[in-house]
Amino acid sequence: MLKTVNLQKKYTTDEVETTALVNVNLHVKQGEFLAIMGPSGCGKSTLLNIIGLLDNPTSGEFYFLDKEISKFSERQRANLRKEHLGFVFQSFNLIDELTVYENVELPLIYLKVGNAERKQRVEQVLEQMQIAHRRNHFPQQLSGGQQQRVAIARAVVSKPKLLLADEPTGNLDSAHGQEVMQLLSTLNEQGTTIVMVTHSPTDADYAHRIVNLFDGQIISENVKELAIL
Amino acid sequence: MLKNYIVVALRTLRRNLGYTSLNVIGLALGITCSLLLFLVIRHELSYDRFHSKADRTYRINVDRVTANGPENSAGTPFPMLATIRASLPELTPATHVFNEEGGTFTVLSTNDREPPRKFREERPILFVEPEFFDLFDFETNGVNARQAIKDVNTVLLTQSIAEKYFPGENPVGRVIRMNNVVNLRVTGVIPDAPANSDLPYLMLVDYESSKTVNSFVTDDSWNSTYSNQQIYFALAPGASKTQAEDRLNEIASKLRDRAPGEKYRYTFQPLSEVHFDERYSNFNGRTVDKTTLWALGLIGLFLVLVASINFVNLATAQALRRAKEVGMRKVLGASKGQLMLQYLSETGLITLVALVLSVMFAELLLPYLNQLLELEIQFSIARDAQVALFLLVVLVVVTLFAGFYPALVLSGFQPISALKSKATTARAAGIPLRRALVVLQFTICQILIICTIIVHHQMEYFRSASLGFDKEAVVVIPVPSGKAKDLMALRPQLEAHSAVHASTFALSPPSSNIGLNTSFKYDDFSVERNYSVNLKIGDEHYLKTFNIPLLAGRVYQKSDTIREFMVNETFLRHVGVKNPEEALGKQLQVNGGQSTGKIVGVVKNFHLASLREEIQPVVMSTATSFYFTYNVKIEQSEAKAALAHLQRVWSTAYPDNVFYYDFLDDTIARFYEGEERQAHLFKIFSVIAIIIGCLGLYGLVSFMVAQRTKEVGVRKVLGASSASIVGLFSKDFAALVLIAFLIAAPISYYSMSKWLQDFTYRIDIGSWVFLAAGALTLLIALTTVSVQALKAAFSNPVRALKTE
Repeated sequence: MLKTVNLQKKYTTDEVETTALVNVNLHVKQGEFLAIMGPSGCGKSTLLNIIGLLDNPTSGEFYFLDKEISKFSERQRANLRKEHLGFVFQSFNLIDELTVYENVELPLIYLKVGNAERKQRVEQVLEQMQIAHRRNHFPQQLSGGQQQRVAIARAVVSKPKLLLADEPTGNLDSAHGQEVMQLLSTLNEQGTTIVMVTHSPTDADYAHRIVNLFDGQIISENVKELAIL
Repeated sequence: MLKNYIVVALRTLRRNLGYTSLNVIGLALGITCSLLLFLVIRHELSYDRFHSKADRTYRINVDRVTANGPENSAGTPFPMLATIRASLPELTPATHVFNEEGGTFTVLSTNDREPPRKFREERPILFVEPEFFDLFDFETNGVNARQAIKDVNTVLLTQSIAEKYFPGENPVGRVIRMNNVVNLRVTGVIPDAPANSDLPYLMLVDYESSKTVNSFVTDDSWNSTYSNQQIYFALAPGASKTQAEDRLNEIASKLRDRAPGEKYRYTFQPLSEVHFDERYSNFNGRTVDKTTLWALGLIGLFLVLVASINFVNLATAQALRRAKEVGMRKVLGASKGQLMLQYLSETGLITLVALVLSVMFAELLLPYLNQLLELEIQFSIARDAQVALFLLVVLVVVTLFAGFYPALVLSGFQPISALKSKATTARAAGIPLRRALVVLQFTICQILIICTIIVHHQMEYFRSASLGFDKEAVVVIPVPSGKAKDLMALRPQLEAHSAVHASTFALSPPSSNIGLNTSFKYDDFSVERNYSVNLKIGDEHYLKTFNIPLLAGRVYQKSDTIREFMVNETFLRHVGVKNPEEALGKQLQVNGGQSTGKIVGVVKNFHLASLREEIQPVVMSTATSFYFTYNVKIEQSEAKAALAHLQRVWSTAYPDNVFYYDFLDDTIARFYEGEERQAHLFKIFSVIAIIIGCLGLYGLVSFMVAQRTKEVGVRKVLGASSASIVGLFSKDFAALVLIAFLIAAPISYYSMSKWLQDFTYRIDIGSWVFLAAGALTLLIALTTVSVQALKAAFSNPVRALKTE
């Protein structure tokens, strides 16, 4: 599904150059559930942003669906994003001015999905996320767990090949956090590839494989099946 | 997609109600003004454009150059039209239009029981020929107007006059008597003259009757002209205007006498310029300077610009608040174009709301504007394609102008930084632009303030400048033409009242639109002079009544004809006499040698017309047949009693006439009506520009304060006083006002100097005007800033730091 070769990312301000990622080589297979862990500032989110086509690497190669895309323009990346990627954020990032239904509908509008199909798909995913009864509410009227379920619904309504989650339980209490992780796990079982950044070992436990990042480098990987064996 | 945009737009606007209101009110004010100005400009440009032959219709003017300078008039010699008809067949149809500025009308009753009813009209009564209706397309409501005034002593009434004179009756066939000299038979009723015509008739009378009404309308002389006797014609399609003009001048040069050194040319003025060329005036007595129209258009544009700038400022300042939404939409795959379209449609929506409000405001305000400008503008958006088009253009232009930059900023956010509310690029990019725009707003406001002060100051000068005579508490009462003697016989009774201080019979008061110009010879009569003098006719009480000082000699003696003269200082300068005493006893000849006499006195200069014009050489003398007014200096506090007394005595002399009067200072004030209106408009629009600017400034500062909440918190924790916090915000804006001042001062100085050049007597532009305008703007800006800054200054620093 995706592969990085010697991926580097540097941030330059007027005087200081900060290296966020150093020679990251990562391979994610179709259907995999990968967790990226590491302390604050280790480059997790930077890596996720590059994988999520929200940012370009400074150097190195990045293959997505077998295409080298590290030099893609913003427009090309925007097209790939809307067709193949879904995002879940720690702070939900729902649009306050839109209702639950409208938030979930938005990606399909940008994908130019027809009216009838859009309605059907939004309803379906709202049911799936058990949030359909709240469809006419605005984000501020929902609990954190509910908001994150809406965010996930929005992320998956376009049936993305890859779902990217940045600390999806970071703003939730443990009960709601578990609920969200269950949802992600189910989605993965249904075939969605997931890459998740997390601080939480409990959350990471849901993943097939954990990559540990430190100062911009991958320092270890553990594959869950092997650990069990 | 569009539905989504609109839904989001509406919810965003509702959520930020304060911000939305500032934008909508500012824009609505700006658009209202521009709409009203559009209506005014369109109205002024529409004068007499509705005639089907308008494009080839002309008026015959005459341009003279004399030693006094150029003299322009639209008056024509009385026999000219007959010559044109005989020798210039391409000038057809052609018609005389003779304007009698009002008159007294007596409605004769059909039986002996009712007394005749009398009316006094002050607006134009036009005497025209049947060709008038071939040339112009005035609405006649089915009346065969051409036929109706074919015979002598016939009149067509306008609807409103018909209703006034013959309420509930059919006026056709009835007789009205004009100025007690001629009976006119009503042959039809036509609609009122349209508001946008410079031929604003109350009635149309057959041209022949003008000769009865005015004894001086003669048929033979090419040498005399009267400015109210004009010729309009259409030039045949394909005919050359220049050739026809040359032919007419060639013919005329053989028929008219020429003063030595005099240049004289008849010119054809296109009908479309009659409304705009003040040199020749028109029967509305009001011309509009095209520069003024341009200036008004510019002000309209300025006001919309100022309001749009608010929009840009507020929207970019607010952009940070919407960064998260932008980021998320980008993550979900929205393209830059889609986002721009979204924000532009939001701007469009706000503009549309403002537009709807503007139309409502404009409808409410139009009557007041009409009253102020003495116009009759009407508009209905439903039936007015031009207004609809204008509004559509405003909608599109404002949306693009006000919305484009904010849309560009918003859609340019990088998704990650936007999501993390770190949209610093926008802040960095937005601030210089916002500053530039605020400077532009301040510049516009200051230009308007400076212009307003100067225009106002010049108006004050008009009101207060010494004219060289007393204009206060002087009543001017018209005397029926040729009948002054009847009233002169009653002078003892007239002056018997204690409130009557002095009175004089005269052609006109010192400053007047009515005047006689005559050629003259001075001293030994050998020198022919190629300029004329203003002949002031008045009795021996003229100087006393108007309190005009005598410099040398004495006042002329009572006489029914021209016998003795007085002259003014300018006259002496023109004939090269330095010492007033020198002129006394010298011989003077006026009216082409018909009247000769001695100069017995020299008077101090007084103004003959508006302060736009220089003081001409004046020759004063007596002539009962030219006494058209009775001028009375009364006691202001007893004006009512004095007027009642005068009316009583006057009516015994003229039982058939209607008594009316004017106060001289009112008449003089009317010289400056145009400028007075301009001054009013300037005042109104500069106040509105300032209000709009303040709205924007208020909004902008409130966002700045919100953005710098943390900074203010830290400063307060470190011990900053409230005053220093206010200073922090004020300093920036004070600098912007200063920059704007440096731009505004030279621009307004230049344009107002040009404006003042129109007036021979004018104020000097003092530096205080600029300082006052600068200080005023600074005060307004800092007050607006302080209101918001104080809120920040008094806030609890702990809370400010917590929210960050």
